[in-house]
Parts: sequence; structure tokens; C-alpha cells
Amino acid sequence: MIRSDNGYFGEFGGRFVPEILLPALTELEDLFFGLRDDPEFWQEFVTLCQEFSGRPTPLTPLRRLSKQLGGAQIWLKREDLNHSGAHKINNVLGQGLLVQRMGKQRVIAETGAGQHGLATAIMAARLGLEATIYMGAEDIERQYSNVFWMRQLGSDVVGVTTGAQTLKEALDEALRDWAASVETTHYVLGTACGPAPFPELVSYFQSIISDEIKEQSQRQMGRLPDEIVACVGGGSNAIGAFAAFLETPEVALIGIEAGGTSFEDGQHSVRLSHNTGETGIAQGYKTLFLQNDDGQLGDTHSIAAGLDYVGVSPILAYLSQQGRVIPESATDDEVTEAFSLLMKTEGIIPALESAHGLAGGFKRAKQMRPEQNVVINLSGRGDKDIFNIARAFPQREWTEFLQREAARSTELLAQKGGH
Amino acid sequence: MFPAQYDDLQIMSHAVVGFPSLEENEKAIAGLAEAGVKLIELQVPFSDPVADGHTLVNACYEALKHGGSVQATLDLAQRVCARHPEVTFILMSYLNPLYRFGLEELFKQAAAAGIKGMIVPDWPVEEIEPWLPQLDALGLAPILMVTPNTAPDRVKKITRASRGMIYVVSRMGVTGHETHWGEKFQNYITEIRKHTDLPLAVGFGVRTADDLNALSGKAEVAAFCSQYIEWQRDDGSDVAADKMKTIIEAIA
Ligand SMILES: Cc1ncc(COP(=O)(O)O)c(C=O)c1O
Repeated sequence: MIRSDNGYFGEFGGRFVPEILLPALTELEDLFFGLRDDPEFWQEFVTLCQEFSGRPTPLTPLRRLSKQLGGAQIWLKREDLNHSGAHKINNVLGQGLLVQRMGKQRVIAETGAGQHGLATAIMAARLGLEATIYMGAEDIERQYSNVFWMRQLGSDVVGVTTGAQTLKEALDEALRDWAASVETTHYVLGTACGPAPFPELVSYFQSIISDEIKEQSQRQMGRLPDEIVACVGGGSNAIGAFAAFLETPEVALIGIEAGGTSFEDGQHSVRLSHNTGETGIAQGYKTLFLQNDDGQLGDTHSIAAGLDYVGVSPILAYLSQQGRVIPESATDDEVTEAFSLLMKTEGIIPALESAHGLAGGFKRAKQMRPEQNVVINLSGRGDKDIFNIARAFPQREWTEFLQREAARSTELLAQKGGH
Repeated sequence: MFPAQYDDLQIMSHAVVGFPSLEENEKAIAGLAEAGVKLIELQVPFSDPVADGHTLVNACYEALKHGGSVQATLDLAQRVCARHPEVTFILMSYLNPLYRFGLEELFKQAAAAGIKGMIVPDWPVEEIEPWLPQLDALGLAPILMVTPNTAPDRVKKITRASRGMIYVVSRMGVTGHETHWGEKFQNYITEIRKHTDLPLAVGFGVRTADDLNALSGKAEVAAFCSQYIEWQRDDGSDVAADKMKTIIEAIA
């Protein structure tokens, strides 16, 4: 299990928040520390994931693609088959158990790709809680289908229009809400970032992924995999896929960041590899941030809204500093290529975030031998990316359909007087 | 300098360095000094000011486009501290810009420029404590924040580490909205005074002459910030200074 040293992982982590947020963080920490070693609590969580989200998710061999690439055997850990379509729900269901114990009636969350927001909206609906989801206005445009569903589920989705209008700004705004509402509201942070105890707490729930990989690979491969590859936004699916193997050096752990369009400032979200990130303290914690010499956090870019973030989990910053996790990156173009390849060869539609893991994993698998095994964490499914993929592969037919649908929807609105 | 305990209410106001421009900052500060403002926060603009409401968030964003930075703040401090010796200047910043500059070097340069205190909302007391000997030697006062939900033992810890004044956050939330100064607030102030002899600076939601009147006799300093920045944004620094003057005269 991942344990911090008083909130720190090496030099990274900590709790740098306005005083007003401190009582809620200590309350959460006390509750979590009291539960995390209790096998009954873990079992309660696992059962909830089974009953509600279909866990355990399968470990799927990619027989055709592995053969085609001619290297190691590639396996996908199918987090895309979770209810809501991504790993984000593991953490959210876990935090839901904590919310019930704290007796809070309202939850807030930040979201980039909308998967965490969607998972939070689902949890809130199920538990009868009020929910407000903060999402950058830019990301709302990129992931509108998730916004649509969050609202249908009864959540209030608030577009954030400050700065670059992406995940970083959504997180800032969630913290501002929390400063006013902390006594009655729980902040469901969506990744292994932010002030202690969030990095540790989110990793704890997400580690269910690697628990399953360990057991499934023994059963299906007859041994542990040689490598595990995962995409890295804030870092929660990666840490979830790595956690059970940290003490097993034979299993290489590879994190793939968003290489965007180039290594120019503002064109990527690479913090761990290439020395692009520098140590800083912001958004409640100390980690490697993309920032300028004046300590202003920088702009980021990725084709995947969920990887488009300036900071990274302090746990991954530490593990990559230690050499335990190997950071690499994949460009937008490599990602759309890997996306198509998986879809056409194996019939699986990945999220663009997860397709970074595919791009990085395929590249590595090609260099390996056929008796070796690579597990790629397929963190989410690609349904939410229909508009982005349509843009990456423009087709007249799709554009014409959108025009007809827009006309129908405008007409309907006029008839029914909706708002 | 900082007021003494139970001195009459003084006004603290605000400059976001680079907002609306670096040149305008100097003029605005002269206007505030002229209006009778006794303490001025020089805020280093930051990309992610999580304790601030939209007025200051947007001012930070503008300021960064107009050359606001740690270095620009130190340069401005040097000039305004020399020009307005009757005003106490306080550096207000989020931690990261200071951390990137190098904390030790920053403290030295700020003190040398004539800065008397520092307000850093995301710098918790545990992280400040190790720096206290150095800050005391430089005469640079860390002004720590107490909030309505701070537990008594923590109020004790914070008031012990704080120097110059205690920043009393008047209510839950971020800067920029109104506050009610009822009995609950009075009890809150009384509770804090049990732990400290330092003067209290009350901030968050101080926006009108009525607010100032309500705080008179309760606190030594009222932080009149977001409303001033809104005046500056909407009417320019001269009109903002006039409005400030009218309000200060009204409570005198
Ligand atoms: C499908 C999917 N994968 C990955 C991520 C990145 O987050 P993390 O690095 O915390 O797993 C997201 C975030 O929105 C996501 O939706």
C-alpha cells in the first residue's frame, strides 16, 4: 500500500491550502486513516464495485494486434468496461463511502474529460446528494456528451471561464467553492493530486486495478507481466495500475504523458519526462508543474482533455525521480494512430486519454520478445470522444448529419418552448 | 508600522502589481496614501489564486499580461516604501512565485525594499515556523490567517507564529462577497483575542462605510480590498482614491 511520510512522498506532496480548508482535510484524513487498514472496509468497497460497476474488469489479450506488431503479447486492463466508462468511478465510489460516513449532503468535483464529473454525478444521484461539477469552458466544448449526461443525472455543471479554461482552472474553482461550503460539502477530488490526504486516498481506491491485474496475470499468463503501461494525466489510473507492483522490480512501470503537438511551451502536458516540469507549490501541493521562471503555472495542450493538466501526482513525481516509474510521452498524432489501430484490429474503442497508453505501449511492445507480456491500462472508453475523433478524421457525411440534427433540435425547441 | 492593540480602526487597502499597469500602480498607491490609507498590500499576481474571488482573479490575470511579477513587486516596493513612509507596505502573494524566486533571497530583498509584513494564504503555519528566526531578524512580519472554523488549539499555534497582526478571515469563502457583522462575529473576535495581544486585521467582505463602522472598536485594521479594486477597474485609480477618501472621512 502507498504510504506517505506525513503527507509527503520524498520532497513532493504536502498540504498547502488556505487555513479555511484545513479542518475538512484533517477530518477526511482521520476518517481515511481509521479505515484503510480495515479489511472489512476494503471488502465493502470491492463489493460495491462489483455490484455497481461490474468489477473485476477483464484482462483482454490482443492476439491479432500483438501478432501484427510482432513483439510482446499485449493485454488490456479493461477499465473502459466500468459503469460510466472509465476508471474514475473506482475512486468516486470509494469517496462516496466516506461521504456517507461523514454525513455530508453535497459534493463538488473538478473534471477535465468529464469522466470524473460523470462518475461523481452518478454517485450523487445514487446516494441522493446535491452535486456541483466544475469544468473548464474549453473542456465543456470538447466533451459535451459528458456534460449532457451530468446534467441529466441532476448535477449542476458550472463552466469555468478564467485562464485557459481547462482542468487547472476547474480545480481552482472547486477549491473556491469548498472554502465557502466546506462544513457541509465534500470535495471529491478526481485524481491522485491536490493536498494530503487526496493523493494517498485516491491511490488507495484505484489500487483495486493492480490488485486485479496481479491476480489475473497469474491466472491468464501464468506469471506477472514484464511491463505495465498507463497514461498519466493527474496520475490516478497509472498509480492504480502500478500500486501492487511497486515492490516487484521485475515488473517495469511506464507512464505515458501527453506529448501534444510539440515540446514548445503550451503545446504539451509533459511534466515528468524531458525536464519540462519544475518543482513548485500550487493547488494545494508540491510537485512538478509546468511553470515559468516567475512561478506562474503554464498553459498545456493535449488532444485528450483528461491529460491536459499542469501538475502531476506527487506520488508519480517521486516514483519517477526514484527511477521506479519510467515516464514517456506520446504525441497527438501517435495517439490518433493508436486509437484507429486498436479499433480496427481488435474492435475496442478507447478514450483518447487511454490511447496515449496504447501509443506508448505498442511502441515498447514492438521492441520486446513474443514470450514477454505488456499490460496496458485502458482507462476509459471512447464514446465521449465521438466529436474529437470526427474532427481528427473529417467526413462530409458526419458534418451533414450534424447540420440536419441541429435543424431538428432548433425546430423542436421552438415548438416546445424549452430553454 | 503596525497599529497597537485597541488603536482606532485603520484602513488597509490593496494593489495588484501590474493592474491595471505598473505605472498606474504608483499613482494609485499615492492616491490611497493621500486618502488616509495606513496599510497597503502589494499583491504579486498569480495564475491560480485559490483564496480569491473573481475580482482579484481577473485583476491577477490582467496584471500578468502587464508585467506583474515578483521582481516587479520588489521594484515597486522599493519606490513606494521610500515615497510613503507613513504607509506600512505588506507583500501579499501565493507561495509558488515566492518559492520559485527563492524564499531566503525574497525575504532579504523584501525587507531591504522596506516591506514590513507578508500575507501568504497558502503557506501553512507548520511550514512558516522554521523561518521565524530569520524573519524576525529581518523585521519581516508573517501575518497569518485565522478563519471561523479554525480550532482553538490551532488558533493558539497560529497566533504564536504570527507577527505584526493577525489576519482574521471574517467568514467562510473567498474574497469579494459581503459579510454580516453580528453577534457571532463578535464572539469570534473575542475568542481570538484570548490568544493574542496582536492587533486584528479583519478581511473578506469589507465593502462599505457601514462595514467600517461595524468594525470600528472591534478590530484595529479593516482590509478594504476587492471593492477598491472594482472601483479602480471601473472608474480608474483617481476616482477610486476619491471614493476611498470619502469613506475614510465618513468614519473619522
Ligand atoms: C479515460 C481517462 N483516462 C485517464 C484520465 C487521466 O486521469 P488520471 O491520470 O488521473 O488517470 C482521464 C481523466 O479525465 C480519463 O477520463
